[in-house]
Amino acid sequence: MDTDFSQDPIGWVESLKRAIEANKAIIKTSARVLIMLGVSAVVGLLAHSFGLNRQQVTSCSVFIMIIMSTLLFWQHRLAIAFVGIGALMGTNVLTLPMFVRECKLDVILFLIGMMVTVGVLKELGLFTWIIQSVIAIRRITGPMFVVIIVFLGAFMACAVDEVTSIVFIATLIFQVCDTLKVRPVPFIIIAVLGTNIGSSGTMLGNPVGILIGQNASPPLSFIDFLTWSFPIMLVTLSVSLIILMWYFRVEIRLLSERLAARRELGLGLGPLVQVPYKRGLAILVGTISFIALHHRIEQYLGLAPNTILIVAPLVIAGLLMLWRHQRSRHYIEADVEWWTLLFFMMLFAVAGTLQETRVTEEIAGYFQQAFGDRLSVLTPVIIGISAVGSAFVDNIVFVAAFMPIVNKLQQTPLLWALLQGTCLGGNITMIGSTANIVALGMLEKRYRTHVHFAEWLKVGAIVGVASCLLAWAGIAALSPFMPTVVQRQRKIAAHQEVRLTVSPAHGDLTKITDPNNSR
Amino acid sequence: MPRKNNELQFSSLFRPSHVICQTEQTDRDTILMDLLRLLGYEHGIGNVEQAYRAVLERENDMPTVVGPGIAMPHARLEAIESIVVGVATSKKGVIYSRSCPDNPIKLIILTLVPKAAPGAYLQAISSLAKICQDPSTAEMVANLSTSGEVWSFFNKGRIILPDHLRASDIMEPVKVKLQEQDTLQRAIDLFVHYGLNELPVVDKDDELIGVVTTYELLRVCLPDYILWMEDLAPVLNFQPFAAILRKESKTWLAEIMTSEYATVQEDSPAVQVAKEITRQRADQAYVIRGRKLIGVVSLVTFLSKILRE
Repeated sequence: MDTDFSQDPIGWVESLKRAIEANKAIIKTSARVLIMLGVSAVVGLLAHSFGLNRQQVTSCSVFIMIIMSTLLFWQHRLAIAFVGIGALMGTNVLTLPMFVRECKLDVILFLIGMMVTVGVLKELGLFTWIIQSVIAIRRITGPMFVVIIVFLGAFMACAVDEVTSIVFIATLIFQVCDTLKVRPVPFIIIAVLGTNIGSSGTMLGNPVGILIGQNASPPLSFIDFLTWSFPIMLVTLSVSLIILMWYFRVEIRLLSERLAARRELGLGLGPLVQVPYKRGLAILVGTISFIALHHRIEQYLGLAPNTILIVAPLVIAGLLMLWRHQRSRHYIEADVEWWTLLFFMMLFAVAGTLQETRVTEEIAGYFQQAFGDRLSVLTPVIIGISAVGSAFVDNIVFVAAFMPIVNKLQQTPLLWALLQGTCLGGNITMIGSTANIVALGMLEKRYRTHVHFAEWLKVGAIVGVASCLLAWAGIAALSPFMPTVVQRQRKIAAHQEVRLTVSPAHGDLTKITDPNNSR
Repeated sequence: MPRKNNELQFSSLFRPSHVICQTEQTDRDTILMDLLRLLGYEHGIGNVEQAYRAVLERENDMPTVVGPGIAMPHARLEAIESIVVGVATSKKGVIYSRSCPDNPIKLIILTLVPKAAPGAYLQAISSLAKICQDPSTAEMVANLSTSGEVWSFFNKGRIILPDHLRASDIMEPVKVKLQEQDTLQRAIDLFVHYGLNELPVVDKDDELIGVVTTYELLRVCLPDYILWMEDLAPVLNFQPFAAILRKESKTWLAEIMTSEYATVQEDSPAVQVAKEITRQRADQAYVIRGRKLIGVVSLVTFLSKILRE
């Protein structure tokens, strides 16, 4: 039936409203697609106006499109990354050999090895034993519980990774809060913030750790992380703990009261069983020791830097799979996060084109023009930019893009600034890191409840800013003692049979394998 | 009180000619057959034999004695498009069911509803709820000597069919419930004794404060952190259950009580029950007045009442 809208303007508005209501989902999706393509196009135009060539413009646009997809289409980010790779290959910005080189299989293999190892440890009851050890503490109080979840979360993140750590800590929190009928949200927030801070402590804590360590020029070792990042992590964690205990003092007091009441009745916090944990503990200690000693073993065997670091988790995973051969397929299929790893590969390849097309070099140039070479300026700038960026975008995206720029700036402390900024910035918002998203997903699944963006932001911003300032102070205090890039290069060169030269164009290390080609 | 235009009186579902007044028959099945033949002749209900079998099948399965001296047999027929009602009265009373020998039936209201009209019978029964509760109704109607007087009884009573079924129309009484001060021990006893999977928990004012389920109980015994282990040796002899059992008399229900359950207010449309059961992925919905627990509708009850009655 046709309607004469000129005669009935109100009817026209009503019809429009109804049409909008009926097609809300389609309109919403279309708007998101337009925003994604629009931002990507604007970045492309900006890149063009800055004088970048066609290939550089294309790689910038596709990279921004993938960043936008993680913001707007979280569920479809891998599909969009696949399409982005196709677009880059179709325009000859990315070639197949370049893809294979840039998708950072070393980092991916390291993560696969760790995921399988963690899967075996879980089945062996190691994490059950850890949780039971906390539940079994007789005179536990609210503050003590908070100290435990913060430090346990942080140290487990250091030992395995932040996502694995938060899954176990969240389970512990759910057990305690369910038993005591206490709202779990504050304790989940506390644990996630602690875990994110802890993830900056070692190379294993966060995928960005291994990415920075492996792609630093020259690479950083596990011991480097323990020497320069772990102490800063301990300080930021301790101060953040004090802030969190003050911020959630009411909830912690309530927890103490409920714990005391339960203790008076002689009741525990959950069933306890005899767990044969020793095998699992031995495997974990062995794995971490193997990884921690990678630098010495590499020196001894004359291997390229971080060879053992990458191979150790894979070898251990392989041995564990041989031992538990009837479950080996399960470990690979169920415990390895293929979705995430594939996304990382695509992302690394796209970010690699930024380096291959020398976009990162251009940006590093602008960066130096804007902020100079002074560490006192660059450190807070990198911490600030990476923290704010990581608060809204997956931190691995940020590191993938920023790493070549930081490498180009040729100052060791900036690597730690990037690590601290991306790890600590993830605390600011509830979407800032994978650990946040995993924990909130568990909360939603179990309690059908969700945390409001503002509820998280209030405490996340306080802890995020405080910890970033502390990290800045820590890096500033330690930087005089840190080896320079040249000292690191010499140290590595001294322990290798191959000779190293520095490419004047890129500042990259080039191995000259021909022993006769001496300078 | 003004009546809405779309209100349907129960008396409009039948005519005086649909009434068998003061029958001398004392056999239930014969009266039902007589009523069906009358309705077949007066209104047309398709195959009378088929309708008879459908009514008997339902009555033999569970006699529909709805009040003192009143029965409301019914069937769902494909041949009709609207509700058809027939009424029979008996001064002597009919032994309607072996299970109720002390309750001779004096008023039989036969309701035939279209096959594709879920809840139509329950709407009819709901409209008669008030007169069914009155113990003198059957006696009074049975003493009326003409069909017209019987019809007038229903007409004067202004018995209105509700627009829709309400949750309270399909609910059943709560057979067993827990008090908030009860312990886990009592909950386990009741689960085992009644073979139930879910028990409501009420406070001293009979207000619903939570639900205890066997699944939650199992989850308390086997929390996630124990389920992670592939090796069952540590729990092979039900060690976590033993730990719970040792403290069952000290453990308050609050520990395993969940606040996630389906509830509907008594006046809510009955379809709301289905919605809540689906939304909460529950097996039953609790019917409340304010917060007071007054009944329960299980999924099985809902399906049988709406799709089969």
